[in-house]
Amino acid sequence: MLDAIDKTLLKTVADLEELPKGAYNIRKNGKLLSRHVSANINIETNADETGIIVKIKPGTKNESVHIPVILSQAGLYDVVYNSFIIGDDAEVTIVAGCGIHCGTSDPEGHAGIHEFKVGKKAKVTYVEKHYASGDGKGRRTLNPTTKVFLAEGAQANMELTQIAGVDEANRVNEAVLGPDSLLLITERVLTDGDQTAVSTNNIVLSGSGSRANMISRSVMKGNSKQTFYATMDAQNKCFGHIECDAIIMDNGTNETMPSLKAGHPDAELTHEASIGKIANDQLTKLMSLGLTYDQAVNRIIQGFLK
Amino acid sequence: MLELKNLYFTVPESEENSGGSRNIIDGINFTFDDGKFYAITGPNGSGKTSLAKLIMGINPVSKGSIIYDGVDISALTITERAGAGIAYSFQQPARFKGITFRDLLMIATGIDDENKILNILKRVGICPLSFLDKEVDAKLSGGEIKKIELATTIAANPKLAIYDEPDTGIDLWTIGPMVSLLKKELAESKATTIVVSHNRSFLEAADIVIIINSGRIAYSGNLEGAMPLLDDLSVCTYRDSCEGDSDAGCYR
Repeated sequence: MLDAIDKTLLKTVADLEELPKGAYNIRKNGKLLSRHVSANINIETNADETGIIVKIKPGTKNESVHIPVILSQAGLYDVVYNSFIIGDDAEVTIVAGCGIHCGTSDPEGHAGIHEFKVGKKAKVTYVEKHYASGDGKGRRTLNPTTKVFLAEGAQANMELTQIAGVDEANRVNEAVLGPDSLLLITERVLTDGDQTAVSTNNIVLSGSGSRANMISRSVMKGNSKQTFYATMDAQNKCFGHIECDAIIMDNGTNETMPSLKAGHPDAELTHEASIGKIANDQLTKLMSLGLTYDQAVNRIIQGFLK
Repeated sequence: MLELKNLYFTVPESEENSGGSRNIIDGINFTFDDGKFYAITGPNGSGKTSLAKLIMGINPVSKGSIIYDGVDISALTITERAGAGIAYSFQQPARFKGITFRDLLMIATGIDDENKILNILKRVGICPLSFLDKEVDAKLSGGEIKKIELATTIAANPKLAIYDEPDTGIDLWTIGPMVSLLKKELAESKATTIVVSHNRSFLEAADIVIIINSGRIAYSGNLEGAMPLLDDLSVCTYRDSCEGDSDAGCYR
């Protein structure tokens, strides 16, 4: 059922060697490949058959759902709408990811629109990895969108990673935070060659006592270009922070635009942004521990994107 | 053995100071014997750190040579000097994102075995276990990062260890143990130890005190002999211009 390319893609985007334990839904070339539900986690195809609905029962603890997508069919652009309904007090990890293997000169792409409704005091960890490989010259496009709605006291920890090989990415993250909810987003994007990536983030701190922290780490190699927009819109007593760091290597370019909007007198919003080459004192330190210049560069980038 | 032969470090002078060049290290000749503890001291801006960085290869040699174990290392890279057994502890250690103390120890030693890493921590003593998986980033206090810097340098098992102001940011209660640690390491490993410091504890611990002033060695020998010169250098050189007014607002 899984061929060698599938297995490599699955391992890279979902750390899966074989079919996972617990609930999962694996989509290959736009079609359902395999699905498994558990007592607390149900997965069903949505009404217009454009994606899945994952329902997690209230109070579910320490369970996980894997929903990887793999693409290896030339010329296919796969669009999927997935919804996650996380019951009150549940604690769950969702591992998504898309691996593209492009063996021809035809383009391949995937757009995943993921909507999360996180119930009261529920905690969700969402891990998404994007990766493309293959010798083909076809453009590989990955356009993920996440929309997060946090109920009172809910927490979401989003780890979003684009590892390598993606020619074009248009990434969108949106969130609306209810009272006393907490959102942590860490986005890591590595581009090389002539690749481009745009990341647009709109976080609305709607409830009193809500908190959000957005961390972005970008590395531009070759002639690649990344653009980062992040807006924290505070509509209540809340705390928001944006931290965006970009490392330029070779001739990469970057534009970073953090934006803070305070619509309430008790809003506390901060941001820090930096763009630049790897700091010289970091390189010198690692070289003084015995690494060569190139090894030191690799180690610093590896840590930065960890 | 480390020999500095007619060593210069020259930098271009700024335009407003008529251009030209200035010798930060101005023709130093000195021999460091194996297994001895050296303390380098002197006024701010005298060239102490510049000299230490010349030995590690962080500053390029402008003229003269550095001979280490009989080999001219003046043109070697930092990496090659590290490979030859020289280690350097920075006055202001680099801060990273996503690199932990454990990562630095692994890079310095090539060891990833948990028990061996714990043994290194135990040996160094000044870093609690909770440091191990801390990121060496901007969140660490000045004292914490200096302890990590010192521990990483010792863990590399150098034959020649250079510490640039290891006591900066360290609390008073840790300086004593830090001096004892360097002495213990020196006794066990016979590593030549060079400490750049103003701190009396290090000067007292040293076999040889070197005073640098204006890029030259003004004195080398025991602490007792250094005292008159140290007292002399501590006199403010700007006193003539401010004439010692009590309300001059000087915090120098």
